[in-house]
Amino acid sequence: MRYSVYPGCSLEATALSYMKSLEPVAEALGMHLEEIPDWNCCGASVASGVVGDFAQQVMTARNLALAEEKGLDILVACSSCYMNMGLTNKRFKDDAHFAKLANEALAVGGLKYNGTLRVRQIVDALVNDIGLDKIKARVKRPLTGLKVAGYVGCQTVRALPWEYDDPERPVLLDQLVEALGATAVPFPMKARCCGSSHAIAQTEIVLDCSREILESARSNGASMMVTPCPMCQLNIDAYQGMINKTYNTNYAIPTLFITQLMAIAFDLPPEASALKYCIVSPYEALAPLGVGK
Amino acid sequence: MVDNKISSAPIKYDNTFAKEIYSLENGHYVKMCMQCGMCAVSCATRQIMDYSPRRLFNLIRAGKKEEFMRSNTMWMCTTCCMCKVRCPRGIPLVDVMHDLKALALKQGYVEYPQAAFYQAMWAEAFGRGRVFEGGIMARFYLKRGWNEIKKALGMKDLGMEMLKHGRMPIVPPRKIKGLKSLQQIIQRAQSLQEKEAK
Ligand code: SF4
Ligand code: SF4
Repeated sequence: MRYSVYPGCSLEATALSYMKSLEPVAEALGMHLEEIPDWNCCGASVASGVVGDFAQQVMTARNLALAEEKGLDILVACSSCYMNMGLTNKRFKDDAHFAKLANEALAVGGLKYNGTLRVRQIVDALVNDIGLDKIKARVKRPLTGLKVAGYVGCQTVRALPWEYDDPERPVLLDQLVEALGATAVPFPMKARCCGSSHAIAQTEIVLDCSREILESARSNGASMMVTPCPMCQLNIDAYQGMINKTYNTNYAIPTLFITQLMAIAFDLPPEASALKYCIVSPYEALAPLGVGK
Repeated sequence: MVDNKISSAPIKYDNTFAKEIYSLENGHYVKMCMQCGMCAVSCATRQIMDYSPRRLFNLIRAGKKEEFMRSNTMWMCTTCCMCKVRCPRGIPLVDVMHDLKALALKQGYVEYPQAAFYQAMWAEAFGRGRVFEGGIMARFYLKRGWNEIKKALGMKDLGMEMLKHGRMPIVPPRKIKGLKSLQQIIQRAQSLQEKEAK
């Protein structure tokens, strides 16, 4: 199965381990990924707050226009990218006036988008295109006994509610985790916000939001969290030390991208699980499975 | 004793401000708010907001522009979309919040650190076609000055961890090839939007 892929800025920097694990995992499942040539930043959840929704959506649409010729579904990993690409794409389909105006702007760059593509979140494509059975069949190192809190976060399921999962009580990520042989623990905070981009402007907000999420994971017995969102991963993983210092706690919960966990379960080479990028060490949690440095 | 003497004179609201808000890209949605409070109980950051989204919308109707523009509500919004999913009137609150931030920036209400962060991030995205964390931070600290830099020094452990684990590139990504064309597209979109608003 072929896909266009929109990596987004974070997968080239803070979420490098997402890209490094996504590529080999996709390959192992027969998904062929083709990066959109010369893609641009989608504006994250910020550009609209500076230049307005329309200008941001046009900016996002440049990527859709560049991908349209191939006619493939666009795979998006990052949650904010998914929100922008998904919403913009929907608007092209639903709102003819918007589409006309947006194309007027795109024409300045010699581009046009006809609204023919589908934008897909990774979890959606994994479960609904590849399927849990095929994923289960590919598992070579079942993650038996590993207790995982599936942290979905907010935008991947709420940007386009019911597109592929419940916007408040999502289930697909847990199903993926269980297909790998691990146990998905009950996790009431699985779709709460981590504080997102406040990390730079007002760190306390992230510390507060993320602490509650960590507490929920720990009190339900999780030894690890997995997520499909670069922002969630960054906040929970990189800020955990600061949370411990600020609140006098001692959380030590490693947080992986779902694709990293899949790479481990598929027994792919260590580069594919990209664990060296984890800030909170995952090796203790993974030791019973025989995963070492 | 409760004072039950309520004036029968009609309260006069100044609706100039409301009109200004309604003319924003998603501003008209505010008119649909029925003040049920669902957004307030759903919000990820309600506890640190001056006004919940519901109360903020009420300020618009009451014409309280200064309170409104100086409130931190829109800046505290993390765009988690919970309110948007739950609002019984189908108001896309996140998109309204975008407009309110943009309006605040335009009119110079920039005291919250988030305002500087938004401007920094936008400058990166527009200037490069992709975003570089190092660039955002440099621009953010430049705008916010010494106090913010002091805070950043308190976070140096985190920065070191990020570097050590290869998650903080020090060299920015290359500008995209079609940068000029992207910038022209965005500028055209902005002018088209301005025309639409009129
Ligand atoms: S949930 Fe919607 S209708 Fe209810 S108060 Fe909030 S914005 Fe208004
Ligand atoms: S999108 Fe913003 S206003 Fe709405 S619930 Fe989330 S943080 Fe609150």
